[in-house]
Amino acid sequence: MKRIRILTCGTRLLARPAPRRPLCPCAPQLQRHPHTTPHSPRTQAQWQSSSALAESFDASLSDPHADPPLESTEDEFPLEVLPSPHPHASKSSAKLAALRSRLSLPPRFPLETLARTLVHPSADPNPAFNNASLSILGANLLGYYTTEHLLCNYPRLPMEVVFAAQFAYIGPKALTTIAAEWGIEAAAEPGGEVDPGLLQFRRLRSGDELPAALRRPKLPPKWNITVTHKILSNDEFGSPTRRVAPEDLASRPVPLEEAAQAFVRALIGSMHLHLGSPAVKRFYRDHFLSRHLDLDKLFDFRTPTRDLSRLCAREGFEAPVARLISETGRLSRHPVFVVGVFSGKDKLGEGAGSSLDEARVRAAAAALKGWYLYKPLEVTVPSSTEGGVGANQWKPNMVDCGEVIV
Amino acid sequence: MPVAALRTLAKPQNGVGAFILQCKRLDFHYCDWAGSSRGMVDFIKRDLAKFAKQNPQIEITISPRPHRHPVIKGHYINGMDKPVCVRNMARAEIMEKANLLRNASGEKLKRVNKPVTSLNESVRGIWSPFHGAKIQI
Repeated sequence: MKRIRILTCGTRLLARPAPRRPLCPCAPQLQRHPHTTPHSPRTQAQWQSSSALAESFDASLSDPHADPPLESTEDEFPLEVLPSPHPHASKSSAKLAALRSRLSLPPRFPLETLARTLVHPSADPNPAFNNASLSILGANLLGYYTTEHLLCNYPRLPMEVVFAAQFAYIGPKALTTIAAEWGIEAAAEPGGEVDPGLLQFRRLRSGDELPAALRRPKLPPKWNITVTHKILSNDEFGSPTRRVAPEDLASRPVPLEEAAQAFVRALIGSMHLHLGSPAVKRFYRDHFLSRHLDLDKLFDFRTPTRDLSRLCAREGFEAPVARLISETGRLSRHPVFVVGVFSGKDKLGEGAGSSLDEARVRAAAAALKGWYLYKPLEVTVPSSTEGGVGANQWKPNMVDCGEVIV
Repeated sequence: MPVAALRTLAKPQNGVGAFILQCKRLDFHYCDWAGSSRGMVDFIKRDLAKFAKQNPQIEITISPRPHRHPVIKGHYINGMDKPVCVRNMARAEIMEKANLLRNASGEKLKRVNKPVTSLNESVRGIWSPFHGAKIQI
């Protein structure tokens, strides 16, 4: 679970655009493209320097059908010089157009941005042309939507299980498989002449070491990383290390997994900028939440009977008692015992096992899952009231005091 | 540590939320000279633009393959490809083959015996000797 840093985001969005970084040598030609009308003024400011913006507006006013001077650009700079494909090339890429309509993105989502989400910082270190900034935004959005879904729908879920569920929905491996299911192909080597519909990243050759940012630091064996520490300072999957900043991977060879997950995050981020949050939420629901995950298969209890008795003591229930419900005959070849865990007259859980102890442990685990997987009937997630739209339908969510501590 | 968690991945269910067409690319190969490509050339000239417009999610490439029979080759998201030879076929037949490749999943053909395939557990559960009517012997 990662809190989205709303304050930071807000100030970044409201702040004046930062002074321009040095652009690539063919930037002026690149920016003089009268047909491109970026959807949002914010992205406009990111794409174009103010002088080029004025020029492009002048050009569009004077001659709206003037051809972009792409040929002259190619004459002056061979495409192989560029670290990543030229933004003009995205208009003529069949792969990009196919990808956009495969993901059911509307035509107002520009192909240039889609091409930019496919450029990993390892291919192009220039932040104006790679997807580093978009993937940071997308990672925060993905974490936010997944967390609110899990915490509102399953308020009693233990923190470790929340981490595992986040990992299952939007973890690095999940995002890599999602990218593969969207039909993303990777370029053998990034470059300006490559089709912009291919994932551009510098490949890690087999046998080479991971870049230092991706390597896990060796922690002292007695170093106890608490759950609180994981929540506050590490990534949303409860891993013992922080999330890798995309700019640390600039120009370093990375594995395919790293580039694929950065693409999926960057796509979410760019959709948020171009199409707005309702479209992102629909996209998230269709492509991420629609995946199948059995939350009850994620639990791994160590001492369920002890946990259950602590839970009953905490909640003021009577102490749980295991009672034999039925058996197939304990002297038979494969005996089966069915044991129920009762608190007073209420049966909390039932389990079957080949020994009395196994059945009792299974019954206690079933009772604990019944408690932890409680799901309120009506749930309104916080993001549904964004912008004050559904604010009058807001119902406060249940907040649980947390898992039992033994 | 009272409860730990197991790391798994959420499984995809194409079509439950979003539907992704599994065919991602169709390659059309033809020969300018040979008679077996006559229908294919006709198809490319008259029908392919419409077909491409109806299926924007498929990338379409056309390339000559001199002195060979015409072929349509479908490339799928699971990494498989499916070539279909369309020699001596008429325009309409080639359209049928293109639609067949478009609708294919890319999986190997296999016999489906069960009417339902599901990720969910059976609602009835596995058979238990303790439930249901008692059998009198």
